[in-house]
Amino acid sequence: MLTLLLPLLVPLLAAVAVLAARRPGAAARVAGTAGVLELAAIAHAVIRIHLAGVLQAGPYLRADGLSAFFLVSIGLVFAFALAYSIGYLRHIPAGRFSSPRWFYALAFLFLFTMLAVYLSANLGLLWIFMEATTLASALLVGFYNTEGAVEAGWKYLMVCTVGIAFALFGTIVLYLAAVRSGVAGPQALDWAVLQAAAVRLRPAADLVKLAFVFAAVGYGTKVGFAPMHHWLPDAHAEAPSPISALLSAGLLNCALYALLRFNAIVGGALGPDFSHRILLGFGVLSLLLAALLIVVQRDLKRLLAYSSIEHMGVAAIGVGVGTPLALFGALLHLFNHSLAKSLLFFAAGNIRERYGNASLDEVRGLAQALPGTSVGLVAGGLAIAGLPPFGLFLSEFIILSALFATGHYVVAVVVLASFSVVFAALLHHVQPLLAGVAPAPERSFRTWWPGLAVMGVCGLCLLVLGVHLPAAFSRLLNAAVAVLRP
Amino acid sequence: MGWIDAVAANLLASSAGLLLILALLMAATTRARTCILLFGLQSAVIAAQIAALARLHHFAEGWAVAALVVVVKVVAIPWVLLRITTALQTTPIAAAAIGPTASVFVGSGLILLSFAVVRPYVAELGVDPARLAAAVAVVLIGGLLMVTRRKALMQVLGLLVLENGIFLAALTTTLGMPLVVEIGISFDLLMWVFLMGLFVFRIRDTFDHVDVSRLRRLRG
Amino acid sequence: MTLAAPLANLAQWALLLAVAPLLRGLIQRAKARAQNRRGASLFRPYAELAKLLRKQDLVPDTASAVFRAAPVVSLAAMLVAAALVPVLWPAALLAGGGDFLVLVGLLALARFALLLGAWDGGSAFGGMGASREAMVSALAEAPLLLGLVAVAILAGSGSLAGMAQWTLGQTLVHFSPVYALAATALGLVAIAEAGRIPVDNPATHLELTMIHEAMVLEYSGPSLALLELAAAVKLSLLLALLAAVFFPWGMAPAPTPARLALALLLFLLKLAAGAVAIALIESTLAKLRMYQVPAYLGLASALALLAVACTALIR
Repeated sequence: MLTLLLPLLVPLLAAVAVLAARRPGAAARVAGTAGVLELAAIAHAVIRIHLAGVLQAGPYLRADGLSAFFLVSIGLVFAFALAYSIGYLRHIPAGRFSSPRWFYALAFLFLFTMLAVYLSANLGLLWIFMEATTLASALLVGFYNTEGAVEAGWKYLMVCTVGIAFALFGTIVLYLAAVRSGVAGPQALDWAVLQAAAVRLRPAADLVKLAFVFAAVGYGTKVGFAPMHHWLPDAHAEAPSPISALLSAGLLNCALYALLRFNAIVGGALGPDFSHRILLGFGVLSLLLAALLIVVQRDLKRLLAYSSIEHMGVAAIGVGVGTPLALFGALLHLFNHSLAKSLLFFAAGNIRERYGNASLDEVRGLAQALPGTSVGLVAGGLAIAGLPPFGLFLSEFIILSALFATGHYVVAVVVLASFSVVFAALLHHVQPLLAGVAPAPERSFRTWWPGLAVMGVCGLCLLVLGVHLPAAFSRLLNAAVAVLRP
Repeated sequence: MGWIDAVAANLLASSAGLLLILALLMAATTRARTCILLFGLQSAVIAAQIAALARLHHFAEGWAVAALVVVVKVVAIPWVLLRITTALQTTPIAAAAIGPTASVFVGSGLILLSFAVVRPYVAELGVDPARLAAAVAVVLIGGLLMVTRRKALMQVLGLLVLENGIFLAALTTTLGMPLVVEIGISFDLLMWVFLMGLFVFRIRDTFDHVDVSRLRRLRG
Repeated sequence: MTLAAPLANLAQWALLLAVAPLLRGLIQRAKARAQNRRGASLFRPYAELAKLLRKQDLVPDTASAVFRAAPVVSLAAMLVAAALVPVLWPAALLAGGGDFLVLVGLLALARFALLLGAWDGGSAFGGMGASREAMVSALAEAPLLLGLVAVAILAGSGSLAGMAQWTLGQTLVHFSPVYALAATALGLVAIAEAGRIPVDNPATHLELTMIHEAMVLEYSGPSLALLELAAAVKLSLLLALLAAVFFPWGMAPAPTPARLALALLLFLLKLAAGAVAIALIESTLAKLRMYQVPAYLGLASALALLAVACTALIR
């Protein structure tokens, strides 16, 4: 019981404690301590889940292999983002809701909501906390209070809440289908019960199809599938860089997790074809659109945001193929993408602090001004383009081989073509940044070495995962895949 | 107590007409305050529906949900929104992309559309077609409000109306979701209204207007 | 006993005519109370009519016979229309199949006569008021007709008496969406047709705001009395129409004296309620600007259209 509650309680208490720490520097110390505690709590939970298979705490909290995998992912990303932001926030001007105290408090609240999504046993609770993630992160997106930030925050709140309303409708229709098929009232929202009783939902096939379509559109908005993606580049670009990392590497995974749960239930009820086709469609569309739009980007963080859309599309394609191999590849891809995107956003953060903006047209002489950061940028860029020896190459290779194995030749060709386009575009965009002479900085800036260390750890993990999957990690992934394909 | 049950059943059947009228009036209104009051009225009708259902089907959770809807959607959210309109002090005539007459006719078209959309499901679900069509119509008119109104606060109202419609659809087909879920959804909505209010003020302070159709800096 | 029905019809027609100025007085009194004044006597409009009848009838030099005939035609049309509305029991003096169309036609005839008379008077105000009234009535005609058509389809009868009879058979609390929509539409239109706020202000004489008052500006003496009476009868007719079609409960099923007396009492109560409602609306709302009136009537039209569409969709 406590095992599952602890990772949820620590961020809440941390948020309150950080808000109470008014002395300068105290907030960062409290946040750092809380971050370490949280990491320990998550690690403890993951180990217990691995030993027990499924952990249940009361009627509303449950964690299985899939939850454990995502817990590891979000735990790592949050730890990295927190470590980076302690140095990043030195230069934030204080304002209403804009001080470091509020940043840490909101970040911990954000973590709480995402963890609650992963630990919910009930589709209704999952929806509630998914909406809560939007609420918790909106103030973080609009943190800088500039024109762009306010507009991005408004669009983010608006579009994501509309999308989530569609997902609510889908949840309700699924609940209706379950109730009419004889599943008892409060249990009809419990995803374990629904997955086990999926075959009984077959007579209500029309309702289940309607439910999945609405859930796919709704949660797909939060994942960033095209054509519902318009909020994503704005929100991820205008947010402070550690928050962009949390959004790209944490929140998008969260939304895809919701879709995975729905997919498992609907696949069990209707057979795999319907839901897989929808996911494949969204995945291909997102991949194509993102790859094409990356070519014309003029801002580094917007480029990284479109890259997130692209990789979410790739993961969706993996889930859409549906074989155990493809699912393994998709989950591995999500993990690798989180690491690489965090690395890239941290580098972008350093660039923004040094140059005052992250515009691809104006930043020059990076190799000379910020040598550590430029190494991180290049490594991250190569990783995100899918080149060996980084981890993304391995996961993309697995997904591609699954595509060929199941006969989706056209999709595989589209995927390969998109990857080539993205690789060329990245080369074209990143290379001018490194060469040339850097203009003088607006204010004195020294790279904070723990931030660089965090970037280094990310890169190292990517390298390791690209060469050899550690046995423990493999077991974690296999347990997650087993939940989706029993 | 049979006549109370009869009254409840009749009220339930009549509520569809009331909701359709309120939805059309919302499409016709140009002032934010009127729209907020109409939203409060609509939520009150929905609360009455829940109470009638709780009475007729004898389930105690329904009373709690009805009380929740009254507290959150009839009192709290309209109060917050009215406070925001007072504090904003912008011109009360909310600019819209299409005029009130056109809005009303598009709204009527949407209501007819919702009747058509609902038809194939009515036989299977065994519900009153007027009530389900009213729910879908409220959703569609909420969408209309969001798309055609240019002031930030009217978009907020549009989404609140849309959520009302989804809630109504859940009410008509099942007897609503479990209480815990309902409480969570209401809390989420209240928090969302607070945050939107915060952002409306930020937009006003940063841009000196609240016309969201002019927020076009970020493109591509 | 066969005389009971025609006697009852005659009585209710006379009632509508007699009560019309009282209704006006009641509205004025209620408005005064709402504005924290004592207000004039309830029977003041009767005194005003009597005063006007004693005065001299001035006719402009440029006016023709149309000017003199307009008040007479207007009042005559109103009197005939009043004979179509069931008040105390679901029948009327001139009731017949399709008589709601006749009612709308008679209202249009009265309005048309007044329009012509106002033009013929030759003053600028008359022409201006006439053109404004033409705009309002052109837009108000459609929802009036459509609302009544919707109720006619629902009731399965083309006569107002038939509609009242059908509604009597329904319960107060269970009304179909058609009903609610038609009631709202006709309520909005009644305000427009009767020339009350928010469409027209019956107490104003400002050039910017008057519609009906502009048309009767040139009239004096007995002609003005006839026009004022016609306007009062129009208001009481519309309220009686709304009460008969949408709230007829209390009407006598057969013309027995006891039930008729009860129906009379309830009718007066309904009329009073309508008067107070109009007074409250007039005290709280501002008159719409002229370019907003089409939007107001457009809303009524949409509601009425929906009512008709719903008769097919909801069975």
